[in-house]
Amino acid sequence: MITIAIAKGRMQDDALALLARAGIRLREEEVNSRRLALTDETGDYRFLFVKPGDVPVYVEHGIADCGLVGRDVLLESEADLLLPLDLGIARCRIVVAAADPEVMTRGAGMLRVATKYSQIAAAHFGARGMPVEIIKLSGSVELAPALGLADLIVDLVQSGRTLRENGLTVVDEITESTGRLVVNRASYQLKAQAVGQFVSALRLALNGGEAA
Amino acid sequence: MRYYIGAEARLRRRIEDAAMSVFETWSYEEVITPSVDYYDLFEQGMGQTEAQRGFRFTDNDGRLLALRPDVTSSVARIAATLLVDRPRPLRFCYAAPVFRQQPQSHAEWRRENTQLGCELIGVGGKPADLEVLRLAAEILRRLDLGSSYCLTINNVEIFNGLAAELDLDTPAREQLRRLIDTRETAELHRFVREFRPHDGRAFAQLAQLTGKRDVLQAARDVIQNARSLAALNALEELWTEIESLGLENEFEIDLGDVPSLDYYTGLTLKVFVHGAGANVGRGGRYDGLTGNFGRAEPAVGFVLNLDALTEVVGRRMAQQS
Repeated sequence: MITIAIAKGRMQDDALALLARAGIRLREEEVNSRRLALTDETGDYRFLFVKPGDVPVYVEHGIADCGLVGRDVLLESEADLLLPLDLGIARCRIVVAAADPEVMTRGAGMLRVATKYSQIAAAHFGARGMPVEIIKLSGSVELAPALGLADLIVDLVQSGRTLRENGLTVVDEITESTGRLVVNRASYQLKAQAVGQFVSALRLALNGGEAA
Repeated sequence: MRYYIGAEARLRRRIEDAAMSVFETWSYEEVITPSVDYYDLFEQGMGQTEAQRGFRFTDNDGRLLALRPDVTSSVARIAATLLVDRPRPLRFCYAAPVFRQQPQSHAEWRRENTQLGCELIGVGGKPADLEVLRLAAEILRRLDLGSSYCLTINNVEIFNGLAAELDLDTPAREQLRRLIDTRETAELHRFVREFRPHDGRAFAQLAQLTGKRDVLQAARDVIQNARSLAALNALEELWTEIESLGLENEFEIDLGDVPSLDYYTGLTLKVFVHGAGANVGRGGRYDGLTGNFGRAEPAVGFVLNLDALTEVVGRRMAQQS
C-alpha cells in the first residue's frame, strides 16, 4: 500500500475525478465524512487530505509517498521532490494585480506587495531588480489594495472574477499553475513497483485511455 | 541539534563501529581532519555553491574560516600535498561530523551530521568503482536492514554527453539537468522536442527509467553520441560485475539521477532505506577534485549519514520488539 497526500480545497474535486478515471475510487460517504485518512476500495492506496501547503511537507519527509498538489504550492515550498506528471487540473495563473495599473511604472518609491506567495513574489520582483516590501497574508489578498495595505498583490487567478469584483486589474503574469503529481525520492526507488503503477494509471487516465 | 542518550548513543556507536570495521577489513586507513579550516579549502574542493552552505567566520586576523562542510575536500588536499609521494592507491575512511546551513532536501535538514565515508584515490576504472560499491553494500548488509534498502547507480557522463550533443549553454544545461533530476517528463519532452523532433518522447521517458540491465538497452535505443554510449558501456560492465557477485537485488540503475554537484565525473551512487524520506548516503567518482589541489588523479568514494541511519535502524528495532 502506498500513501498519497491530496491538497484539500480548490483541487480536491478535480483530483478525485481524475483518480476515478484512473480506476481508483473512494467511497463517497467516506469522502464526505470528516475523516482525513481514507483507503480506496481495493486497499492499494491510502489517501491523506491535508492543506495544500502541507502536501510537499508530507511527501518530502516520506510520510506520504506521492502527492497531488498545485504547482503554485510547489514553487512556494521549494521542496526537493520528483514531478513526473502534469495533471492538467485546476489550471490557473499566478499574476501581479493592482487597483491602479500605472503604479508599476510611476516609480513612486518602494512598492508594497500583499500575497500568500512570498517566495514567488520575492523571486519575481528580485529578478526584475524592483525593490518591494512583501506583506505576507493567508487569504482574501484582494482586499489589501482597496484598504491601502498594499499597492500590488500576487495571487492565483482562475476566471478573474474575484479580481474584477474587487476593482483590480492584472498588470503582469508570473507563471501558470496546474495540479502536479509529486513523488518522494526514496519511495520512487524503494516502492518502485507500486509508485510506477500509480503513475501509469494516472498517465493513462490523462491520455484518455491511451498509453504514453 | 540532536542529543543521543544511553541506548540511542550505543546504537549510534554500534553502527559507526560496523562501518569502520568494514572499512578496516578492506584496508582503508582512518583519517582525522580538522573541524575548522580555511574556507578556501572547501570552496576549491566542493565548488562555491556547496561550500557556501558551510558556517563561515573570521579569526582575529580577518582570515575566513569554515566549520568543515565535508571531509572529502580535506582528504583530496592531503593526497595532493602531504602524501604526494606515497604509493597509490590511497584508501582512507572517516567518521566525522560535518556542518551545513542550508538543506538540499528539507527532510535531511540537520546543521550537524556525522558522515561515515571513504575515499579511494589514485586508481580509476571499473575495479575501483566496484570496490566502493561493494563496500557500501557490505556496510548496509551489516545493519540488519533486511531487504529494505537500495543502492542506485548512474554515470554522469551519460548526461554530459547529451548536453554536449545538444550544444547547450550553461543555463540550458542546468535546466535540462533539473528536468531530468525531478523527472518532469512532459516539460522534458517540450525541452528536447526542438532538438529531437522524432524521438523526443522516448528520450523524455528515459528520465523515469529505473531498474536493472534492461534500462541500459532502452537508453541505447535513443542515445547515439559516443560520450554517452561509452558511459552506458561502463555502467553495463559494472552491472555485469554486480550480477556476478549476486548483488543485483540490492542495486538499481537510475538514469534520472543527475546530482547537482558538478564535481562528479563518472559513477554516481545514492543510498535509500525504507523509513528515511531522503537518501541516507551518496557518492561517486570525482576525478577532477585532486587536480584543484595540484595533482590530478582518479578518485572515488561515498558517505553514509550516520544520524539518518541511526534513526531508521532504531525505529526498525522498536517496531520489531
